[in-house]
Amino acid sequence: MTGPASLPRRTLFAAPALLALPTRARAASAAQPPIAIVLNSGGATVSVIDMTTRKILRDEPTFREPSHWALTPDHKKLLIADSSGNALFFLDPATGTELGHKLIPDPYQLWFSPDGTYLTITCLRLNHVDVYHAASLTLAHRFKLGSMPSHLSYTPDSRTVFVSMQDSGTLVAIDLANMTPRWTTKVGKTPAGVMWHDGVVLTAIMGSDHVAVLDPATGRITRTILTDKGAHNIFLTPDRTQLYVTNRVAGSLTVLDARTLGFVKRIAMPGGPDDLCFAPDGKLWIALRFASRVAVHDPVTGATDHISVGRSPHGIFISTLLTDRPALAAMRLA
Amino acid sequence: MQMMAQVLSHVPAHPFNDVAGWIEQTAVLPLLYRAGLMQWSELSFGWTLVAVYGITQMILAYAVCVPLERFHPLERWTTSKPVLVDVFYTFLARVGVLPIMTFVLFYAAQVQLDGFLADRGYVPPMLETIIPALFGHPVVTFALYALILDFTDYWRHRLSHRFSIWYALHAVHHAQRQMTFWSDDRNHVIDEVLSFLWFMLIGLLIGIPPLQFPLLILMLRFVESLSHANTTLSFGKIGDRLLVSPRFHRTHHGILAAGQKSCNYGAVFPLWDIIFKTADFARPPTPTGDPTAPEAMATGTYLAQQWSGIAHTVRALRG
Ligand SMILES: [Zn+2]
Ligand SMILES: [Zn+2]
Repeated sequence: MTGPASLPRRTLFAAPALLALPTRARAASAAQPPIAIVLNSGGATVSVIDMTTRKILRDEPTFREPSHWALTPDHKKLLIADSSGNALFFLDPATGTELGHKLIPDPYQLWFSPDGTYLTITCLRLNHVDVYHAASLTLAHRFKLGSMPSHLSYTPDSRTVFVSMQDSGTLVAIDLANMTPRWTTKVGKTPAGVMWHDGVVLTAIMGSDHVAVLDPATGRITRTILTDKGAHNIFLTPDRTQLYVTNRVAGSLTVLDARTLGFVKRIAMPGGPDDLCFAPDGKLWIALRFASRVAVHDPVTGATDHISVGRSPHGIFISTLLTDRPALAAMRLA
Repeated sequence: MQMMAQVLSHVPAHPFNDVAGWIEQTAVLPLLYRAGLMQWSELSFGWTLVAVYGITQMILAYAVCVPLERFHPLERWTTSKPVLVDVFYTFLARVGVLPIMTFVLFYAAQVQLDGFLADRGYVPPMLETIIPALFGHPVVTFALYALILDFTDYWRHRLSHRFSIWYALHAVHHAQRQMTFWSDDRNHVIDEVLSFLWFMLIGLLIGIPPLQFPLLILMLRFVESLSHANTTLSFGKIGDRLLVSPRFHRTHHGILAAGQKSCNYGAVFPLWDIIFKTADFARPPTPTGDPTAPEAMATGTYLAQQWSGIAHTVRALRG
């Protein structure tokens, strides 16, 4: 679809050659230019972008609908969830090279628990939350706790996972030690992004214009933070001073003070901003769902450049994360 | 707005995505937000795209078929009034409620089946997992999907002529005596539902093709519209055997081919008619229509045609 999609695919015949040169291949991957991996949920491809030249290097195929990613605890593999394709794809996070796939039902959003024991996957279409053993990728427990499970986040001790139920309008806490649900709270219309932050749980209310703050022990809503229409997902800056909220309906980003959760500024970002990553140069790489583009935004100058990708870019991963500990830690992947 | 224009002023690599994206942001999302239906925002972009494809397809068919029908008509009529209802059928099928309902129904059915399978440790089959070599060759995969879907549609259509009860509904499609490119979507609602169930069954067996090839989808639908056009156009001796031409499909709509003894059932590829010996390339053009169909089915209003289809089916049921 995009760029050099017509480039010849790697064939089986190329594989023995790669295996024969493991050291050279490793060396090449170490010298890899930084790349952005963009999950085109409507185009059934993953675009690999050279972050320096901002050109699309190639598109890797998936089955149907790549939505979100997760990095394995050893940082060796990037998992791409293909929801309606019912598969997990494995990519080399440094090169974007596809390493294979595994068929599993409806993976939408997914994260490994901080201790690396579990991989929790929300199945938005099939209405279940699947907890897998991280090492074997075998199912440990399936929860049916609400309609359209959307996003998730863990407590730092990996004991609890919080899941938003997009259609039920609830946030659910699941105790992973006992594999039992702990509490369910009505949080508002269409909750999406969830984030453990500073001892509280934040969830973005997409059917409204705010972020709800919950007490993780009781599930009680302690505060609401006004952002903008269609609040979708929440991200912590690598320096841990600010939170960025993407607002899908308004087409904006809301910047909050990470400590007080007070309003800092609003940035216009039309095109349906969804997931984003912070690059080491301070720029934000943002997937714009309805513009079929990635925005590269400089928060210092306010300038925004665009890169055309496939249809409905959803998740975005940048390979600089692999060596950028503060950024990894902010995403709670370090 | 200005920033949006700025975004879109970038090379329009994907005109369909851009148009659909613009409609999604300026109309669909705000509407869903106000209606408190944001949980459907993920799926709504799919509906918007299907609607954009539908409108584009209609514009394309209009741009090509209107000149063809004007300058190279096969039949000349004194009035074009009976054609108007076919225009209505087309809008209903391509951009109206029907595509959205189809989308929702298919989604609901797929959730049920996939959930049932997932609880038993399976994932639903898909052409690319049945034939793993297809993976990474999206165009080949799409072509195979198109061939399989056309093959199954050949049998659906052939069976709809074979059983008198089913044909009583399909007769609505055949009753038109002034057939134009608008006639493609002229179908009884129940016949449409049956087609949908048929397609869904196939979809559940082999998965549904990805929507990433708008041009190919448009081409396939265009062939179907064009095949109904009132024109002398044929694709030549070889071309007529590769793609369903107006000449090939007109034979299917001829008064001699209405009902149980018909020919040329194919919608896009004549291949299936050739293989199963139902092709007729030789028959000279005859008037179209179904002489056994009630008059209301041919020239009545939309509702009269629909009602007539039901009455016709009840008569067929009674023998
Ligand atoms: Zn027929
Ligand atoms: Zn026809």
